[in-house]
Amino acid sequence: MTSESFLDVAGAEKAFGGVTVLGGVDLQVAAGEFISLLGPSGCGKTTLLRIVAGLLAADRGTIRLDGEEIGSRPPHRRDVGVVFQNYALFPHLTVAENIAFGLKARKHPAGEIGPTVRRFLSLVHLTDFADRSVRALSGGQQQRVAVARALAVQPKLLLLDEPFSALDRKLRETMQIELRRLLRELGITAVFVTHDQDEALTMSDRIAVMNKGAIEQLAVPATIYRSPATAFVLEFVGLSSRIAGTVVGQDYDQVVVDTAYGPLRAPGSFVTGASVVLAVRPERVKVNAPGDFALVARLRDAVFQGSKVQLHFEAKDGDHLMVETADLSDGLPPPGTEMRLGWAVADTLIYPTP
Amino acid sequence: MTTKSAPSAWRDPVALLAAPAVLYLLVVYAFPLLWLFMKSLTGPGGLTIQPYVSFLSDPFNWRVVGNTLRVAAWVTVVCFVIGYPAAFALARAGAVLQAVMLVSIILPLSVGAVVKAFAWQIVLRRDGIVSQTLVGLGLWDEPQRLLFTETGLVLGAANIFLPFMILPIYSVVKLIDPRLSEAGATLGATPLYRFTHVTLPLTLPGIVSGVAFVFSMSVSMFVIPSLLIGDRFQTLATLTGRSFLLMRNEQLGSTTAVILLVLAVSIVVGSTWLARRIGGSQT
Repeated sequence: MTSESFLDVAGAEKAFGGVTVLGGVDLQVAAGEFISLLGPSGCGKTTLLRIVAGLLAADRGTIRLDGEEIGSRPPHRRDVGVVFQNYALFPHLTVAENIAFGLKARKHPAGEIGPTVRRFLSLVHLTDFADRSVRALSGGQQQRVAVARALAVQPKLLLLDEPFSALDRKLRETMQIELRRLLRELGITAVFVTHDQDEALTMSDRIAVMNKGAIEQLAVPATIYRSPATAFVLEFVGLSSRIAGTVVGQDYDQVVVDTAYGPLRAPGSFVTGASVVLAVRPERVKVNAPGDFALVARLRDAVFQGSKVQLHFEAKDGDHLMVETADLSDGLPPPGTEMRLGWAVADTLIYPTP
Repeated sequence: MTTKSAPSAWRDPVALLAAPAVLYLLVVYAFPLLWLFMKSLTGPGGLTIQPYVSFLSDPFNWRVVGNTLRVAAWVTVVCFVIGYPAAFALARAGAVLQAVMLVSIILPLSVGAVVKAFAWQIVLRRDGIVSQTLVGLGLWDEPQRLLFTETGLVLGAANIFLPFMILPIYSVVKLIDPRLSEAGATLGATPLYRFTHVTLPLTLPGIVSGVAFVFSMSVSMFVIPSLLIGDRFQTLATLTGRSFLLMRNEQLGSTTAVILLVLAVSIVVGSTWLARRIGGSQT
């Protein structure tokens, strides 16, 4: 990243009726980057997006885009495009008129508008639909019109507010790949709001995981998944086994934790006596492997998922033991089977009890 | 979508649901109207267009037509100017405030035009509240009577017909997604451009029905002008009334009634058609 980021949000704060929705959020986005704001509903991600778009005024904070302070500008003077969750297409206009709307509003020369509209129609594969009413389109087609309409004015920044949530699963995956390719080809910088971790992991250059009006972690998808910074990020993104325990000692660079399943180790250092949560991603756990193992557990459920099998084990209240594995040569074991679970200490994540 | 299997209105049993309404309107509306029309065309010597010729050749009657259209146009304009923003305020208000506003718009409808016109007689007097306020504000040097003036008539009638402008526009505004205007803003459109290119076209159906309601009601109002401006000022409706009730001239009465009807219908239909055309691809 260059020293001057393309989009720079600093100390963005917003409260509604005394309730803090955003508590001093900082976010830097490089030119051409695709960033996801991932979090549960009410975490402030849509509020942040609306503040950047200028549809909502922040109580405090600055927003710089391409070197200019835009925080005090009205939305029509920010050069920030938005694809809305419900697309917000103009129902009284045709597909082509929707795409031309921003160009006409910005008083582009009439001779340029036609070719630009045709270019974006073909980019989203809607050339044959130019003169249709937008109300006659399917959900996927409407979404493509919304994207083309926002991009036709060539905004500096594109914001997307859960644009796939109304589409069915299969179509969603196709559209995600298509949108990502389109944005990459055009070199558009984009901030994408979603509560769907798969969507965020698939599409993003970096993900900002948000919780209670703050960004808990901002990192590339692999880091978010492999090294969640907080227990919230661990829980929100991906699945994991979780075991509560108390720190009983330190062995060089490893913490020794007393758990209901005996002593377990994790990398790092913690104060003795601290209550902690240990976690392991399910694909890191080996089942019935020869050699060392961490604990023995009784199988509760085995869920066949095609390319993999999910095994859920009986665990103490509040704990969760699960494994994802590809090879079970002997077929699904019956519930009640005792199995040895093992994983590398380096794969163990440790957090203070939230 | 035209396919040969599409049911025609005649074969669709749902069309039968309109039968009671059609029957009712035929008996109480279409037949009397037809009778009125025939009456206007029947002279002592049989079928004639003489009543229309003599009506249209009298300059006094042209003034009556002018009065009618001018007052109705002003009432419609006043109702629109006040009612359009009010409809937005109503549609975007919080639940409690909206309920209060709706009640205060709808409840006065139950009072009736006669009572309200009498109330306006008091309001518009030389010592009435309008006159006193304007003098108090220094806009008028001395108290003036608005009662029995055209301005007074327009003010009173606009008040009485205002709900018929607000409610149809409100019902359309309520359905407009506020995000459409936001989308316009993020595309670079100024507030004015958003209003003229998004909000106005989308509220056009509500404006068309509001204008049609108010215009057709004010072009044919009878009691309100009688009470607020008196006999010196004649409109087609009051002239029709006088012809039947005072002059006992059914020929003249039915002639003016038919002319009023034709004028009102053609203006309402014509302006609706024009608005739809301007609205472009609006359906």
